[in-house]
Amino acid sequence: MPRTVREILTEMKDTSEVIVDLAYAALVFDSQDMAEEVQHLERRMDTLLYNIRIKAMLSARTKRDAEQLAGLLQVASSAEAISNAAGDIVNLLRYDSDKRPFLPIVLKEAEEKIKSLTLADKSDMANRTIEELGVESETGMRVIALKRGKRWIYDPETDSRLKAGDILIVRGTENGFEVLRSFASGERSWPQYPTKEGA
Amino acid sequence: MDELEQKLLEVKDTSELMVDLAYSSLLYNNRDIAQEVMELEEYTDELNASIQHEAIKRAMADGDVSRAFVTIKLIESLEGICDAASGIADVVMKNVEPHPVIKMSIRESEVIIATATVVEGSDLADRSLGESRLASQSGMWVVAIKRDRRYLYGPDEGTTVLAGDTLIVRGPKDGEEFFKDLASGRARLT
Repeated sequence: MPRTVREILTEMKDTSEVIVDLAYAALVFDSQDMAEEVQHLERRMDTLLYNIRIKAMLSARTKRDAEQLAGLLQVASSAEAISNAAGDIVNLLRYDSDKRPFLPIVLKEAEEKIKSLTLADKSDMANRTIEELGVESETGMRVIALKRGKRWIYDPETDSRLKAGDILIVRGTENGFEVLRSFASGERSWPQYPTKEGA
Repeated sequence: MDELEQKLLEVKDTSELMVDLAYSSLLYNNRDIAQEVMELEEYTDELNASIQHEAIKRAMADGDVSRAFVTIKLIESLEGICDAASGIADVVMKNVEPHPVIKMSIRESEVIIATATVVEGSDLADRSLGESRLASQSGMWVVAIKRDRRYLYGPDEGTTVLAGDTLIVRGPKDGEEFFKDLASGRARLT
């Protein structure tokens, strides 16, 4: 469990962003695994909110502190409210899929589409992390999760090096997807920016 | 997709834009962006009410209660996200400087959101996004275009940008300045 107010708020903000993407992905792919991850994150957000409230109260010394911390706690509560909404979205999986056939269709039409692609053997994205590659700034696509064999890796930004055969669940525009697909299939090599190295 | 599904999708796209804008308003302590979130909140409230109304009307006509139920459930969740976004933006609207820790937590991530209004005479005006090749020139992808009071989500290469449009873009931090200079006419396309 993170210790400082800053660490907790950072985790809550990051989670509030990834959890909604995961929830939609769970509906699009009808995935119980992803739904469970959403529920897990939702429970963690409850705990984080409880802890940040206590820490914020302990750190208030002046009226101004209290006013600023009230705002900070409002941000934390809102992040938690977003994760609750994501939890409610995956609860829709409980209803028979023939009662919600339009949901995946509608979500697939969304401007920011959720799609999957497989990393080819000859792609030079392999053996590098998503953060090193800068996937989002290069292509506009956000990697929500990846599947390696039977295992899911959530929020895979920094954690793991990509491997050939990984299935990437990504979110972004159609154009961005095409760009990323050309790299992931090995059709094009990942651009090099020599000036940025070591920056 | 029918009209109801299109509205549903519009609320979904808007809810995501609202969260992005809300965190950005905090990062830059920017009241204009926060105000934008507040206005979108009112807009989605209206849209949500009309979707729920329409869903019930359809269920009464065709007896498909499950479908209406799932639609209304989803709308409630989306409304929860929109409300949370305006809760975040509301912190900026208060007359108290946001706590410095907030800014550190919304640390400069890999990708930022930026907005700029395209002026008359800018290289971006009266051209399609495909013609100006904004994404490859600046690294910034257009998420939405605000024209008068309307938002166009996910414009594509064929979408023409007009003078007066506000572009909401997502991309690397180092592309922001060039993008803003292009919009204001201070910089030219190469």
